[in-house]
Amino acid sequence: MSTTTTLLSVHGLEVRYGPALALSGVSFDVPEKGALAVLGANGAGKSTLARTLSGLVPPVAGRVAFAGRDITAASPSAVRRAGLVHLPEGRGVFPGLTVHENLRMALTAAGAERAGAMDRAFTIFPVLAERRRQRAGTLSGGEQQMLGLARALMISPRLVIADELSLGLAPTLVDVVFESLERARAAGAAIIMIEQFAHRALEFADRCLVLQRGTVAWSGPAGAAGDEVLRHYLGAAETA
Amino acid sequence: MLQYVLAGLALGAIYAIASASLVVTYASSGVFNFAFGAMAFSVARFYYFLHTENGWPITAAAAVSLGMFAPALGALLYWLLFRHLLLRPPLIKIVATIGVSVALPPAVDLVFGKLPNTTAPGLAPVPLTVFHPFGATVTMDQVVNYLGLAVVLVVGVTVLRFTDAGLRVRAMVDSAALSGLSGVNASRVSLGVWAATTTLAGLAGILVAPTAGLSTDGMTYLMAAAFAAVVAARLTNLPAAVLAALAMGVFTTVVQRYLDPESALSAQIVPSIPFGFMLLFLLYYALRGRVRDEPAGGALDRAIRVEDGGAARTAPRAATPAGSPHGHRSLPTVAKAAGLVAVAALPLVLDEYWAGLAVTGLALSLVLLSYTLATGEGGMIWLCQITFAGLGALTAAELATTYGWHPLAAVAAGALPVVVLGVVIGLLTLKLGDLYVALVTLTFGLLVQTLVFTRDRFYNYGQGVAMPRPGFAEDDRVFAYLTLAAFALIALFIVNFRRSTAGLAMAAVRWSEDGARTVGLSIVRTKLLVSAMAACIAAVGGGFLAMNAQAAMLDTYNVFGGLVWLAVLVTIGSRSPVAALVAGLGFHFLPGVFQTHLPSAWAEVPVLLFGVGAIMVAKDPDGVLAMHARQLRGLVDRWARHRPAASPAPLAATASASEPTGGERP
Ligand SMILES: Nc1ncnc2c1ncn2[C@@H]1O[C@H](COP(=O)(O)OP(=O)(O)OP(=O)(O)O)[C@@H](O)[C@H]1O
Ligand SMILES: [Mg+2]
Repeated sequence: MSTTTTLLSVHGLEVRYGPALALSGVSFDVPEKGALAVLGANGAGKSTLARTLSGLVPPVAGRVAFAGRDITAASPSAVRRAGLVHLPEGRGVFPGLTVHENLRMALTAAGAERAGAMDRAFTIFPVLAERRRQRAGTLSGGEQQMLGLARALMISPRLVIADELSLGLAPTLVDVVFESLERARAAGAAIIMIEQFAHRALEFADRCLVLQRGTVAWSGPAGAAGDEVLRHYLGAAETA
Repeated sequence: MLQYVLAGLALGAIYAIASASLVVTYASSGVFNFAFGAMAFSVARFYYFLHTENGWPITAAAAVSLGMFAPALGALLYWLLFRHLLLRPPLIKIVATIGVSVALPPAVDLVFGKLPNTTAPGLAPVPLTVFHPFGATVTMDQVVNYLGLAVVLVVGVTVLRFTDAGLRVRAMVDSAALSGLSGVNASRVSLGVWAATTTLAGLAGILVAPTAGLSTDGMTYLMAAAFAAVVAARLTNLPAAVLAALAMGVFTTVVQRYLDPESALSAQIVPSIPFGFMLLFLLYYALRGRVRDEPAGGALDRAIRVEDGGAARTAPRAATPAGSPHGHRSLPTVAKAAGLVAVAALPLVLDEYWAGLAVTGLALSLVLLSYTLATGEGGMIWLCQITFAGLGALTAAELATTYGWHPLAAVAAGALPVVVLGVVIGLLTLKLGDLYVALVTLTFGLLVQTLVFTRDRFYNYGQGVAMPRPGFAEDDRVFAYLTLAAFALIALFIVNFRRSTAGLAMAAVRWSEDGARTVGLSIVRTKLLVSAMAACIAAVGGGFLAMNAQAAMLDTYNVFGGLVWLAVLVTIGSRSPVAALVAGLGFHFLPGVFQTHLPSAWAEVPVLLFGVGAIMVAKDPDGVLAMHARQLRGLVDRWARHRPAASPAPLAATASASEPTGGERP
């Protein structure tokens, strides 16, 4: 254990969708300002982990503590208000709302941070400023990802869970995603990064967790997760 | 002409307010509010209480009714019921709101007293001022309707477009999950939505009272008409709903210009216009292909939704995820047999009055078996079984009385045309989502009711068409055994059907339509088979009800009465024939108990109880019977549990030898 204070602590998490077991016995800690890479094959349970931490999917067993509070059974809005931001897999935007309204929604729980937040979002992603009156559903896929990302960057959360944000993006935009998360980290946020680009994620993170069929198959320092680990758990194709 | 258009817009304005209320609740909470009429009635009744009975001025009475009473009622219902419905299957949502629609009016009557007549003033001072723009005549009531709609639209658009609260509502409609992740407190928003839409319902109720009467019937008709606009708007498109409502209002009045107001035909056509509208739209959807009706939601909402398969259409397992596999949850066979014997003994031990109730209840449980098959087994939410029963009764009565057929032969033959109707409806609704199926069948029922059941020849001042009993069963006891025999026969058939190939196919379809398709089961054939059989059972049941009453009295077959039947059945349990028996008997015994043993002021209480029972299914969707069966089984289990079960194998696999090193075992 590191000496820094623990921000998120997960113990013995078990999650089911109806009768199907999706996660079992998952335990790990994330320190303040830490960065954890969560890797695993398709269907390993990565997104499920993210959804459970943010309160979208209730766990059957286990305990989640965040910033000293038990949030195991908390609602998504309570978790968000505690400072945990989950950027979901796929296009995490409200398609029927305009870009500007999407950003307003991101400030629902912001409180004092509201001032200047909107400008911050538009400075980071100028393209959003041009399209502020456009419905988010009509943005390109990449633009929607930017919008989703902006929702986390315009405020200062304590923990960001980024679920495959770089999926399907052009290389330059993938760089933008990593830079943005780096920026959030510099601003004091801890990051849980779920990624298909395992090597980049491991460069970014300081710890790594490998899920396999819903259980933790490997965990350790990001530096120690060499090619052997990746090939064993993810298959060669996934380690691009 | 202008005269008719202006009157039509006044009517359309009320429809528009009502449909706006329905669309907003459906889009934001996924609940299609069958309790709308009852809610409108309650608020309008409260306004009447303040304004007419206590002499409050219009503005004060309206302000308190709409500004305080209605929001409080909406919030209360949300807190008691609607918040539990979020993840429930469509049937439970429908039944629970039906429960409210059944329970609320008698509760209101108990508090404020039953109204001797239904004439009530609206929001305009009486006597009504009359205007004459361009030679047409417009009353102050109509002007108030225009103003009411204008205010609703302006306030609604302002709130939805320009306030944070409105933004949150729209975000919830877009994706409830994502708005949760954004920190939106879903229950607070829903509470606000229910408070606001109940106010709209109340406004529509107060406005419609002067023309339709301050009665549940008037409000229910308003609701059914507003359904048409909502369907035209595909359930969620607010502007389309408002426009469709206005168009429907204008059409309704303009048509009257071309109809002879004295003719019986116009008395039937005019009230059926909204249902004709709705049927046209639904047919259009049905013919265009598959129409889903889940509130849109976002990708994230779909990703976290637990595909609960069909059992869940009637009984979700989400609450007990780690629970037992989908076993059969019904009473032990012994209990069933004991129940049947007990029922068989009823006619022998009861006096005439109670035996009469028992027979009626038995005949009703025959019809209820039709729901058991269609809804419980088939997962199809059909709301027109009572209409099938009415049509079966009517045909049988005609055959027996006019053509002198033997009553039993008439009942059997009377079922044939109904079977054809059942198959046609089954075909039309094959590809529709659950809620649309419910609405198509409801509309069909309403159409038959306004177009056929009200015909003088059949209606006969409420007397209906005479229907003799078979010669050997003139006596109530014998007739009771005849009915019981028919019940046992059909129940046995249903139980066997459940185990047959077709029944298993049906279960597979219920479980997952797509899954069943890949397995290669013919969904079409199975669904049509179930439709035909369910229609047949309902028609035969209707025939028995008619033989019991010795006439096909068409008031018995009111569509909304059928909703109460369904609600009572689902409350007891929708999947077992025993539940149908219990529901049928209870439906007639309970009011009997209240009538004979309690003061007449309590007469409404049984209805209230049925409603409250249906509301309870929101919390235990399996029904009362299954709940008790579960408790019974739990008792038996505990009693039998002497040996400890073998401990299950540990879930986690042991570490494999080839595992890479360097990691820390969790
Ligand atoms: N709503 C749901 N209902 C039922 N099962 C689900 C649901 N969502 C996910 N699952 C199952 O849970 C398991 C884990 O899914 P999850 O989405 O967490 O995987 P993942 O690791 O994020 O995969 P990917 O890399 O493809 O995103 C899978 O087997 C999946 O089929
Ligand atoms: Mg995923």
